[in-house]
Amino acid sequence: MATVAPRLRVTDVSAGYLPGHPVLRGVNLTAEPGRITVILGPNGAGKSTLLKVIAGFLPPLAGAIKLDDADISALPPHRHVQHGIGLLPQGRSAFPDLTVIENIELGGWSIRSDRARLRNAVDAMLTRYPHLRELRNRAAGSLSGGQQRAVEIARMLVPNPSVLLVDEPSVGLSPIISSQVYKELVALKAEGRTILLVDQDVRAAISVADYVYVLNSGKNDIEGDRSAFEGDLGVIVRGWLGV
Amino acid sequence: MLQQLPVIVMDGILLGLIYAIAGLGLSLVLGIMGIVNVAHSAFIMLGSFFAFELFRRMGVDPIAAFFLSFPVFFALGVLVYRLLITRVERAPQTQGLVAMFGLMVLIENVGTIAWTTDTRVITAAYTNTSVVIGGLRLVHVKLIAGLLALLLITAFWAFLRFTLVGRAIRAMGQNREAATTIGVNVAQLSALMFGLGIACAGAAGVALAMIFPFSPNTQVQWLAWAFLVVILGGLGNVANTLVAGLVVGLIQTACTAFMPFDYVYLVLYVLLAVVLVARREGLSGTVRRTI
Repeated sequence: MATVAPRLRVTDVSAGYLPGHPVLRGVNLTAEPGRITVILGPNGAGKSTLLKVIAGFLPPLAGAIKLDDADISALPPHRHVQHGIGLLPQGRSAFPDLTVIENIELGGWSIRSDRARLRNAVDAMLTRYPHLRELRNRAAGSLSGGQQRAVEIARMLVPNPSVLLVDEPSVGLSPIISSQVYKELVALKAEGRTILLVDQDVRAAISVADYVYVLNSGKNDIEGDRSAFEGDLGVIVRGWLGV
Repeated sequence: MLQQLPVIVMDGILLGLIYAIAGLGLSLVLGIMGIVNVAHSAFIMLGSFFAFELFRRMGVDPIAAFFLSFPVFFALGVLVYRLLITRVERAPQTQGLVAMFGLMVLIENVGTIAWTTDTRVITAAYTNTSVVIGGLRLVHVKLIAGLLALLLITAFWAFLRFTLVGRAIRAMGQNREAATTIGVNVAQLSALMFGLGIACAGAAGVALAMIFPFSPNTQVQWLAWAFLVVILGGLGNVANTLVAGLVVGLIQTACTAFMPFDYVYLVLYVLLAVVLVARREGLSGTVRRTI
């Protein structure tokens, strides 16, 4: 990544699916460039909802979402890519009937007018993930879960996003594949990208985190850098479970 | 009887190609967008009258009308998408179906007011002429309509398979949210897809009008044909729709040659019932929820 990634700032954001029933109630967080910022919390805390709001799929009822000084709160979801935001959704999101190479090429939809850039970006992804080159003509739906995750990551990276929103990256994957996904997140951070990670796998998420926010009932609960959480995992999880 | 077989097969293939384009737009709109467009055949009927009026008023050949119909009906489809579909595509399933049924009734009634229920035909210079190819006598008009249909099917197949926009349309049909995350404006692409579906219906109407007599009420019969092709071929797949169209065309011509015409429908609908019982997703396709 050539340019410096922007800071993602969420300020007093409230949002919900039904009128009068906000899921998020005044959430604040900052994700810094070159760092992995993790959002943890029990089921129903509002983690995935927050990611949906940041990605533009759910408009906030109040508050602001900014990339450096640019307000992206009202940006429709398909325009986030143009602002350098990539989203890795929860679960399987590769297009199953398209081939691996068709999936990756589609990742460059936002840069399609620049054919040379698109071609180079796709080549760069096949170089970064060489096993995908061998699978290039296979239907994505015929691949293993780990291979599909690689296709999804490659597709997300084609336009070279500077901010990555990652939702539960290890869901449905074996422990070995999951650890590879987390290693890749660390590599992407080392390239200077701003990474916001929502996860249920507390231990894995904290192992790659630079800063952690815990949400509870749609509000900020506790926060701190990784060292503040490493020793207290049991306490945190027991707190969520209420035991 | 065996001497007739090559002619029957060729006739069936040409007819099947036309049935395939009659079902193609319906299949793509249903398979990719999840919209059960029961008004599809009403647009086919409009396509027939589009060719009829161009021929009657300006002497425009149906072949030219076929190519003219595409942009005209594409624009009409986009308009219908913007005015109607955007209001019902996220509504409960039945609401969309009722809206499309209402549109079908509206178009048929407007058609009846404009053209009455009289049966019309288009008699072009080549309607009653034929050509002998490889010992087979083929009626010009069927050959021309079949080739035009093949051209349209090939163009659709190539568009969806080889262009980035075509792949984005297929991607949208497989995972709408994931398509959005890569920057696809699904509302814009849905309008494009619906427009293409209606353009296909209009072109199919022109091809059908070259061969069959038609009236505003004929659209009900064409709706059955189009759904038959879609159910046999499955959803959202050009190649399978082509195969289904050919199957229907071949069965129809074979049955017409060997039994009274009334039995043709019986055979086709028995076939349909068998497919639905044995393989409800069609000869090759997938089952998914639609509006």
